[in-house]
Amino acid sequence: MQTDKTLDRNVAGRTAGRGLTEPAPVRWGLTIVALLFLGLFLFVPLASVFAQALEKGWGAYLEAIREPDALSSVRLTLIAAAVSVPLNLLFGVAAAWGIAKFDFPGKSILITLIDLPFSVSPVISGLIYVLMFGLQGWLGPWLDSHNIKIIFAVPGIILATIFVTFPFVARELIPLMQAQGKEEEEAALVLGANGLQTFLRVTLPNIRWGILYGVILCNARAMGEFGAVSVVSGHIRGATNTIPLHVEILYNEYNYVAAFAVASLLALLALVTLAAKSLVEWRMRGEPM
Amino acid sequence: MSIEIRSVSKQFGSFNALREVSLTVPSGELVALLGPSGSGKTTLLRIIAGLESPDRGSILFNGREATDRHVRERQVGFVFQHYALFRHMTVFENVAFGLRVKPRGSRPSKGEIREKVEGLLKLVQLESLAGRYPAQLSGGQRQRVALARALAVEPQVLLLDEPFGALDAKVRLELRRWLRRLHDEIHVTSVFVTHDQEEALEVADRVVVMNEGRIEQQGTPEEVYDRPSNPFVYNFLGNVNLFHGRVHAGAARIGEISIDLPEYRATENSPAVAYVRPYDIEISRIRQNPEEIEAEVRHIQGAGAVARLELERLDTSEPVEAELTRERHRELGLRQGEKVFIRPRNLRVFVEDYQI
Repeated sequence: MQTDKTLDRNVAGRTAGRGLTEPAPVRWGLTIVALLFLGLFLFVPLASVFAQALEKGWGAYLEAIREPDALSSVRLTLIAAAVSVPLNLLFGVAAAWGIAKFDFPGKSILITLIDLPFSVSPVISGLIYVLMFGLQGWLGPWLDSHNIKIIFAVPGIILATIFVTFPFVARELIPLMQAQGKEEEEAALVLGANGLQTFLRVTLPNIRWGILYGVILCNARAMGEFGAVSVVSGHIRGATNTIPLHVEILYNEYNYVAAFAVASLLALLALVTLAAKSLVEWRMRGEPM
Repeated sequence: MSIEIRSVSKQFGSFNALREVSLTVPSGELVALLGPSGSGKTTLLRIIAGLESPDRGSILFNGREATDRHVRERQVGFVFQHYALFRHMTVFENVAFGLRVKPRGSRPSKGEIREKVEGLLKLVQLESLAGRYPAQLSGGQRQRVALARALAVEPQVLLLDEPFGALDAKVRLELRRWLRRLHDEIHVTSVFVTHDQEEALEVADRVVVMNEGRIEQQGTPEEVYDRPSNPFVYNFLGNVNLFHGRVHAGAARIGEISIDLPEYRATENSPAVAYVRPYDIEISRIRQNPEEIEAEVRHIQGAGAVARLELERLDTSEPVEAELTRERHRELGLRQGEKVFIRPRNLRVFVEDYQI
């Protein structure tokens, strides 16, 4: 492993050396193209969100956010994230632990299944839930007779959010745990620790920054998810609208200031996520891998 | 605690890691499992620890069945090849780990733990580094932390997987002498795995030579080095020269040399190989008797306690390695390209798979 790393460094060193021989105009040209591209497609739209939101001043902005339907959408988004993120954290840690530390038949199938939500369009995942739990779906009549509402209600939104966000934590942890190997766990076992002690005292501390990183990404996606949630929500104002859905409704009603004001909440969330992500990445680099 | 391994076999897929291995380690002994990579030595060690379970066969500790005993309950100390120190814990916490995870009833108090860990860190000469993290230590220091951590739970058996493999030559030499002294002090039954014959011969009370999942030979370092029971052991323990010849009617004929082998009176004209250690090659400038083989000096390496010579036989062009004492080397004053006469002493002849 050590030799591999040295090799990598050598290769990297050589490539960097060759890169330095590029003439200055090429280097500057490429940098400017990249910055222009970033500015045009990222910074300008982001700034315009805030500009549009504040077009009619702070009063209109705050009013749009304080409006009951807006508050209800914020509440629902928070609930969906508060349920789906912890569940996916549990699932992700369990799956990564199983995959990285043990060998069992069907392991590669499980890894592929975890990736499924990444490869399926969110709209399709929403539709799957409608087909399963909707009135015309497989479980619809049974649910209806027991008076359980999933589709066009909060449970459906939570289910759709869980489905869309479940690869994040697992995907982050599997390579990390595989790279760490299982020697430390074996050492703990030989020293007399039981499974829970090994997990809490050895495994968990080693992956804590990886977990946090996964949770941040998972949370960002859970709050921002549109497609899957849109299909199962039914767009009932004040009841089944999340922030992204509420933004869409306001926008379609030509209520631009309110739409951008609520959208600015999501944009702020994205900025906070970005900052948190960089912080965790910086901490992870400090950790001995 | 004595360890008994009874015809243990282990397979990984289609690879036979161990085939019917039986071995007894008496209490208090320091035993080396020596063999090339893939010989099954690490697998055997992990089976003793309980980190791997045998497909067939059984393990007994102190004469009591332990095959199905969980690794937690085996009371073994295990030092991993790459130490496997807990990277997020300080040296102190690493060593204290085994004490802290004990069930509440048998867990020592905080003060006792501190005392014990400090004692162990003193034993491995690392008192001053208690607050460091593993990443801040050198290889030799990590090795000693791993050892202290394993000893903290007062194991009945100490198992070490290539304990010096990842260290540089000088540290390795110091550490293995230190391990030997430590073992003489605490006398815990110990088994260590190595592929370095010098290490095994220097440190262990007994050496177990393994190859392809089997035990080839076991005995004291002198026994396995001086009386290898088969060509593999001969080859693996130190450098050897091969001389091809034939065995016929109770005598081996290697070139012009004839050796009586009364046990093989019935053998009819079979090919045989004679093994000779480099220091058993005699060199002279003038032919003293017809048994001597003419050779040319190809290379001389005169630095060190002995002078190493690479020669080439003029009759078969086969290389021969020889070692001379410094005095003899000075006396002869040989130069590269010179023609000399060599005579092997203490030839050990093997006919096919049989030892003679």
